[in-house]
Amino acid sequence: MQASIQNPVTVAKRQFMFGRDDVERAMAGQSPEPIASHYVVIGEGRFPPKQVIIALTGLDRADFTTHHARRILKGLGFAVGRLDEGRLDDETRARARERRTRHREDLASAGAGGARALGRPSAQELEPFIGKWVATRGPHVLIAADHPSTVVDWLAEHAQQADSMFRVPETEQQASGLAPL
Amino acid sequence: MRFDFQALPKLSGRARPIIDVVVEGLDFAPQACLLDTGASEVRMGAHVAELVGLELDTADVTGVVVGGLQTTGRAARVQLTLRQSAHTWFSTVYFCDPWPWAFGLLGLAGLDPFLTIVDTYEEWVELQPLAR
Repeated sequence: MQASIQNPVTVAKRQFMFGRDDVERAMAGQSPEPIASHYVVIGEGRFPPKQVIIALTGLDRADFTTHHARRILKGLGFAVGRLDEGRLDDETRARARERRTRHREDLASAGAGGARALGRPSAQELEPFIGKWVATRGPHVLIAADHPSTVVDWLAEHAQQADSMFRVPETEQQASGLAPL
Repeated sequence: MRFDFQALPKLSGRARPIIDVVVEGLDFAPQACLLDTGASEVRMGAHVAELVGLELDTADVTGVVVGGLQTTGRAARVQLTLRQSAHTWFSTVYFCDPWPWAFGLLGLAGLDPFLTIVDTYEEWVELQPLAR
């Protein structure tokens, strides 16, 4: 078996040695904390960069910045992103923006409890989670798990409010249900 | 209250009219329900009843076939709220086991208190509470 490649990494003036495999091992089975803005993609999950570095180093989250954590993980070859960037092309994004604006205006004029940007996750956003239970807020997936109770526990533990909870269907039948009497 | 349709990955069909409904006691996790005007009742997976702590041992039990699958529904009268809305109503919900579907089903019984508008071109559904 090939040995995992480790790199020297300096965080908070301390040096650590870890590589991609160490990161994947450290995060396996961990549930992601809520993502405020930046995230790193590890396996099928998206994690706040600080959560990952804390898991690897045991440092306190106040000891380093999100940008530093993001730089380290990007340097190890992990995909990183921000929630407001999305993965849509310009045209789709513009259409979504237009729809959100219209939606917000509609809500405001209807006096329906405040104009909060709603929207739903795109098909692309949901694709990594086919077959899993998800909780979503706006266009993003907050948490994905095999069981609905795991999703609800996570929301409660992290004091998160979801807009919607469902299972991302694997088949047409799961999506449609068909009409019982 | 207006809800965007939900697009789904890897499926050939269109985005679906989904309405997010809060089942009393589960405010932070509204349940996505497929608007189904061809169904008469509101149905959700039995897991939802478990999550909100509903005791269904003494509930009325009915068998129903959904999409060719036999399932068993236990009826309970519960308070429902539209997501991000103050509008609350009571409806009988059949909590079904097994429930292999992705969403709950919001049949006609769940739409009584609303004027329902569906725009399939723009892909939204709007529920307007009616005073009656």
